[in-house]
Amino acid sequence: MSNSALTLKNVFAGYGGGMVLQGLDLEVRKGSITCIVGPNGAGKSTVFRVISGLLKASEGDVLLAGESIKSLSPAEILENGVTQVPQSRALFPEMSVKENILMGGYLIRKNPKLLKERMAMVEEMIPIVRERASQPAGHLSGGQRRMVEIARTLILDPSLILMDEPSLGLDPKSVALVSELIKRMTKDGRTVLLIEQNVRLGMYLANDGVVMEAGKVRISAPAKDIAGDPEVASMYLGKTK
Amino acid sequence: MKSLRFTKAKKIAVLFWAILILIPVLLPDSQYEQSLLIVCFLFAIMASGWNILSGLAGYVSLGHSVFLGVGMYTGAILGRETGVFTFYFAPIGMLTAMAFAFLLGSITLRTRSHAFVIITIAILLSVQLIVSNWVELTGGSNGIIFRSPSWARTAGNTPYYYMFLVVLVLTVALVRFIMNARLGAGFISIRDDESKAASIGINTTQYKVIAYCLSAAPYGLVGAIYSQYLGFINPTGSFSILISVYLVLAALVGGKGTLWGPVFGGFFIAFANEASTVFSGGISARVLIMGVVLVFTVMFVPQGLLVSVATMLRKRLAKDKTVEFINQAAIAERDAPLNLNNVKRAPSKAKADSSESILQVKGLYKSFGGVKAVNGVTMDIKRGSITGLIGPNGSGKTTLFNCITGTYGADSGIVIFNGTDITKMQPWTRAHMGMGRTFQITKLFKSMSVLDNLVAPLEKPSARNMLANKMQGEEVERAREILDFMGLSSFEKSNVSALSFGQQKLVEFAQILMLRPDIVMLDEPASGINPTLIERLSKAIKKLNDAGTTFLIVEHNIPLVLGLCDYIHVLSAGEIMVSGTPEEVRNNEAVIEAYLGPDTLLEGLDV
Repeated sequence: MSNSALTLKNVFAGYGGGMVLQGLDLEVRKGSITCIVGPNGAGKSTVFRVISGLLKASEGDVLLAGESIKSLSPAEILENGVTQVPQSRALFPEMSVKENILMGGYLIRKNPKLLKERMAMVEEMIPIVRERASQPAGHLSGGQRRMVEIARTLILDPSLILMDEPSLGLDPKSVALVSELIKRMTKDGRTVLLIEQNVRLGMYLANDGVVMEAGKVRISAPAKDIAGDPEVASMYLGKTK
Repeated sequence: MKSLRFTKAKKIAVLFWAILILIPVLLPDSQYEQSLLIVCFLFAIMASGWNILSGLAGYVSLGHSVFLGVGMYTGAILGRETGVFTFYFAPIGMLTAMAFAFLLGSITLRTRSHAFVIITIAILLSVQLIVSNWVELTGGSNGIIFRSPSWARTAGNTPYYYMFLVVLVLTVALVRFIMNARLGAGFISIRDDESKAASIGINTTQYKVIAYCLSAAPYGLVGAIYSQYLGFINPTGSFSILISVYLVLAALVGGKGTLWGPVFGGFFIAFANEASTVFSGGISARVLIMGVVLVFTVMFVPQGLLVSVATMLRKRLAKDKTVEFINQAAIAERDAPLNLNNVKRAPSKAKADSSESILQVKGLYKSFGGVKAVNGVTMDIKRGSITGLIGPNGSGKTTLFNCITGTYGADSGIVIFNGTDITKMQPWTRAHMGMGRTFQITKLFKSMSVLDNLVAPLEKPSARNMLANKMQGEEVERAREILDFMGLSSFEKSNVSALSFGQQKLVEFAQILMLRPDIVMLDEPASGINPTLIERLSKAIKKLNDAGTTFLIVEHNIPLVLGLCDYIHVLSAGEIMVSGTPEEVRNNEAVIEAYLGPDTLLEGLDV
């Protein structure tokens, strides 16, 4: 139990039209990369909304390192070390790279010393942050932008990072760079929970895999098992070409 | 359940009208109440009219009462010259207001910007100035006085009451008609996303001018009646900015963009106005009360009272509803029939000849500031081909798409489609000619259902088509069939914003098929879509292609591109680096270096 970064227990949640999550159980190991795959509309993004507090679970519980965060506000959950890299482009294109990242550090703005330390940490981890510090974010390529988006969440030194389709819209070369960064992020104990449509990429990146279907977890297993699971292949990967 | 609720709404509407009709009959001595209701009607009429332009089409006018003044003065001047009562000229007042709106709209609505809001205020104030100073025609600031009809002494306000009521009924009927027609769908699509609306065949300039004229019509009609009711008009009273503010407030309080919201809001504001006069007296109390109403509305019921209440009720009803999940395995297996006549136009004069070009781009340049996004692209897309366009992020693929479809004008170069030079044509004309495109980040009309999104495209721009009911006729059948083909039938009534990103991509693909396009341009169709649906998607592309539809596809999913395309152009830094068959491109050193990546990290990873 102490090894669990995040646990969702029998979570029900939905919007106006009914319950999208229907009794979802999910366990994310500390320091792991866990990848959720599943059909479009299975409720993957909704899981993220519940974890980050944007959507309240109407039943069940959400535990962060054993403590319930179910009734916390999004801001409080952020303070507890859960950050998210959103699905669509979310940088401020007119602001410089550095300004964008400092915006991510809004929570710690009153502690300039800490902010400086964190900035140095992020720069070391993602060199492009230093190289392109003063360029407008809008001038970066897609892959570079994704790196800056990740950098922006790292400045809060999160323990759990949620990533919604990090490979979306990226060219193959950029996908390789971003993948490598994601792997590197967990080296110092961070946990990454990601959503991927590209199952093979997702399972290559992850330690643990989760297959969702119709608002529930269908399979939960080590990533390499899922990639080779014939059931997953038939229901999800489509027929082999 | 659904039909029951519908009749319930209808019952309330019938009851509402019946009460209003019967009030003077049942309460003949209710002169004060009737005069109060006349103000209610006036505000409801104005708020509903405003709603056509600002609620449906999304162009906010803050000087809309100028059309009331135009109607008032048209009736007054004609009445003075002919010696008859002004309300006989109500239809002429309406036509004058519409003509005035047409003139103004043709000038001010060409561009899209927030400047329109300011311009509407400026128009109101300048018309007031002109009317004050054109003394020979308008009597200047002394205004015009009318003699009362002889029945005024015995019948009091009652005849006016019915005149205003008739105009209100007509106005509500007009808004209802617009909302049910394809025209209304067009207005809403402009509000939700104007550039997208243009790309699916909606002539946005024309639509906005029509919306402006229609929204001015009720003002002109009621204005000519209103001037006789007042007995005296002057420029400051007729072109008051305060009325403009009240009517906007009325629409906001009730709920803009809805049929009954502005009516409700009009009544609400009229009563609040009266209450502030009766109970606290004086202009300043009124302004204070209206201010409080505005703050309350914006903070607590931003969509308006009626809408908020309706949403609350619906949420309560939806509690036990189950969510439809898409069974994707079944969809991929299933082979829904698709009548190709429904997604393709009749073969044009020159029948598919595979050596012939459908689209030619010659020496196209486009830069933004110092960035040369497209730097001299020349390419030739063969009719009936599936052509791929790949390249690193930021290499200009989407900009090239935008120049071809007319979202941006190119700096130089020409685009030829089906033998016609379309370089200078508007996006909607290109759509009518058979060009359809999707967007990388889907652009659907967020306030509409899936089915509404599908019937929004305007394949042929005829008046008949625009006025037709959007939920009847062959369009809807076609839409349903295409949705079924895409496996999206169960989402027909869902709001598109409730769908996941991948589902939205499929809806957008379905949407452009409604244009019966000759060429379909897809911007990253497979990104964010799960593998099963990608398979379904490529099946659909192949099937349509077999029937002669040409495809131009931007995509990063390399196995998909290599498997699907006949020919591939590789774009790098705004220029075509390599062109060739999939085989040639895959083995090209330069392509591997710039795009595919030198390392084999992801070899075999892509699905």
